Amino acid sequence: MTDPHLLVSGIIFGLSMGSIFFLMAIGLSLCFGLMRVISLDQLLYYAVGAYITYSISLATGNLWLGVLGGVAVGALAGFAAERLIYLRIYERDITFSMITSFGVLIGGVGIIKFVWGLVPRPVPMPIASQLDIFGTEVPVYRLVVVAIALLVYVGIWLFLNRTIIGKAIRAGIEDVEHVEGLGINVYRLFSLTFIIAGGLSGLAGGLHAPLIMVDPQMGLEVLAFAFMIVIIGGLGSIKGTLVSAFLVGQVVSLGSLVYAPLAQMAPFAIMLLILLIKPTGLYGSLLLKR
Amino acid sequence: MINGHDILTVSGLNVAYGESKVLFDVSLTVRPCQVVACVGRNGAGKTTLLKSIAGFLKPTSGSIACDDTNLVGMAAFAVAGIGIKYIPQDKKVFSDLTVRENLELGSYATKDYDWSKVTTYFPKLRQLMDRKAGYLSGGERQMLMIGRAILGSPKLLLVDEPTEGLAPSIVSHLREVLRELAKKAALVIVEQNLPLVCAIADKIYALNEGRIMAEISDRASIRPEVCEKYL
Amino acid sequence: MNVVRWWWGLVLAFGLLALMRFFLPLPFANEVMIFAIYVMGCNFLLGQVGFISFGQPAYLAVGAYAAAFYLYYVGSNAYVGILLGIVAGIVVSLVIGPLFVKLRSDYFALVNLALAVIIFYLMQKVLAEVTHGDNGLWFLTNLAATPVLDLSRPDQFFIFSFLVAFALWALYKYLDDSIFGACCLAAKINEDKLTFLGYSNFNIRLAAFVIANTTTALAGAMYAVYLGFVSPEITSPARAADPVVVTILGGVGTLYGPIVGSVVYTGMKDLISKAVGNWELVIGFVLVVIMLGGEKGIWGSLQPRLQQVFARAGIFGRTGGDS
Repeated sequence: MTDPHLLVSGIIFGLSMGSIFFLMAIGLSLCFGLMRVISLDQLLYYAVGAYITYSISLATGNLWLGVLGGVAVGALAGFAAERLIYLRIYERDITFSMITSFGVLIGGVGIIKFVWGLVPRPVPMPIASQLDIFGTEVPVYRLVVVAIALLVYVGIWLFLNRTIIGKAIRAGIEDVEHVEGLGINVYRLFSLTFIIAGGLSGLAGGLHAPLIMVDPQMGLEVLAFAFMIVIIGGLGSIKGTLVSAFLVGQVVSLGSLVYAPLAQMAPFAIMLLILLIKPTGLYGSLLLKR
Repeated sequence: MINGHDILTVSGLNVAYGESKVLFDVSLTVRPCQVVACVGRNGAGKTTLLKSIAGFLKPTSGSIACDDTNLVGMAAFAVAGIGIKYIPQDKKVFSDLTVRENLELGSYATKDYDWSKVTTYFPKLRQLMDRKAGYLSGGERQMLMIGRAILGSPKLLLVDEPTEGLAPSIVSHLREVLRELAKKAALVIVEQNLPLVCAIADKIYALNEGRIMAEISDRASIRPEVCEKYL
Repeated sequence: MNVVRWWWGLVLAFGLLALMRFFLPLPFANEVMIFAIYVMGCNFLLGQVGFISFGQPAYLAVGAYAAAFYLYYVGSNAYVGILLGIVAGIVVSLVIGPLFVKLRSDYFALVNLALAVIIFYLMQKVLAEVTHGDNGLWFLTNLAATPVLDLSRPDQFFIFSFLVAFALWALYKYLDDSIFGACCLAAKINEDKLTFLGYSNFNIRLAAFVIANTTTALAGAMYAVYLGFVSPEITSPARAADPVVVTILGGVGTLYGPIVGSVVYTGMKDLISKAVGNWELVIGFVLVVIMLGGEKGIWGSLQPRLQQVFARAGIFGRTGGDS
């Protein structure tokens, strides 16, 4: 049977993967929930976040500064995309935003190639130490990542449930027209949501960077995963995204212990199964076209 | 015809959904604190009319003016900002938020935190403050929708089929509420309930297939049979 | 139906394509031909049904591997290989179609992508014994000369693919003009009305799904025969973009969009890669610009202008539909 040490490190690995997935996917989920757009360019802000983190940590020797930079640039990029592109396409249907955001994503990959070149780069790990959990050596950095993701979730929860703007966003997820009818400038809400989404995607990239090598295609490689996690959890549900992110993280991680080739594939198979039973995802409601 | 006393002047309004035209050359006027009703069958274009005034639909031609301010082209939230509130017919409130939070959103943009006006009209809401709005009954939701909208003391309320699907006791309560509201604001009410409308309206427009068929401003003539003729 | 008017567009377009054969290198011409057939299916799905799929490579793989398995393990007749590819396409589409077409458009796009990923891993790792994983199946030497048109020879292959494409286009044009085409359009615009008229949205979507994906599978089988080799790369997630981009580039829902798009895309890719080297930047930018400009694409924007020109010249009287 499986070695308990492997199991523990597998679980921790899965938790950290789930955390990154969550941060990656939350932007997609929020943008869909409020604005009914599929914002595939979030994966670009993930990649940009990773690259900015790389550059800054290379220049300053401090990864956390890099992550901060990644968040900032991600938020800025998201804001720019919203003002330049999304503003014009809110009225169109979902397919439209899918294709357009995909174009932004691809174009962004080109920009990354242009600025940083094709070669994958490694990013130094800030915390090399390990912690002993149940007799297994676990990298502290991965635990930090999990902690950050949970903090972010709590932060988002507080924002959405305890601030008036957050409540306006939740109301907007239900019905934007009614919110606008109350005199609230929903377009500012849209911009804010894109800023938050871009920032969180950038955070995902920045945190993920030390664990992998940054390469121009990284956004495209995780596209399927991020999209799938949001679908499983149900587009527009924050809790759903958290649950499905950690679920997928564990499936990939523990799955690779069981039968490696299947592990990468399994989440997609699971998604198909879930969609067959509940076509709107685990927590998705019948969010019909506005 | 622009009358200095009018709070709302709609003139030659044409609205289309994509290729299909819904409103043809619609004109109407509303005075301050006047109750104007729009009656017509389903599909006559009544909701389209209200939505266009509120800024949710862009007309292809025509003008909409409130106190000399041109409303065409204004974003819907801006229209609400100058005191014209739209109350949709779908009886939807923000179900995941509590009644209190629904009202907070109403207060947020208008900066009007005096909820006494709401609870005066709808005392029941006081008990329901912490209930999630999704659990309210149809009548309670209508109350909440109206309550939310009157924060900020709007000068014009666009009310879309308020009594649809509600029990008679609630309907009569609403009728009295609308009467009271008309003391402070003009009302444009879209309704299928002719008796109710004839009881409170100062003027009636009959709409049929996107056109105004008749304008009845003589109080004596405002009776259900008269309206029926035009539908 | 005016026979001349019905056919003249097709003849003209394919006449131009045939000309292309003599001015451009043969490999380019062959690639464009097969790619155009590939994109045809995607275009049908998006343009007629309104469904975008990020996973068309999956069906490409279905057709390609069906042909490959036959040609590697069983026989050497290319015609049979292609036929098997078509059959595989029909079978797979009929099996998963009923499940997929019930989904909303964004979910639909995603499940197709998921399918592409699943098939990718299936071919690469899980079934590696049969498929030889990343090494792929090589059977170029297996191909025997086939009667009538020898598919193992590139120049004859071109003639074959040309004929196939022409037949397909005629078929699609027929479908477009028929009740089926009208139903598809209606299903896209207003589902409820169509149901009230007595048509089943589900059946229409399913039929379109099967047609589109079988076309894609056919293209896959043709790739297999032409290249003499198949590997999982054919359905790697990176390839998911190609048909989408080309469809938009050419013009969604138009009959000749796929041809125009394929020529431009294949040509551009080559040129740009050599000249600028940053393919993604250009294509991403182009995509966004096209979408913001009204998603008409190259042919979509050209078509109305051309119709005006022809109308003014008085050719064939008043303008017909999408000729």
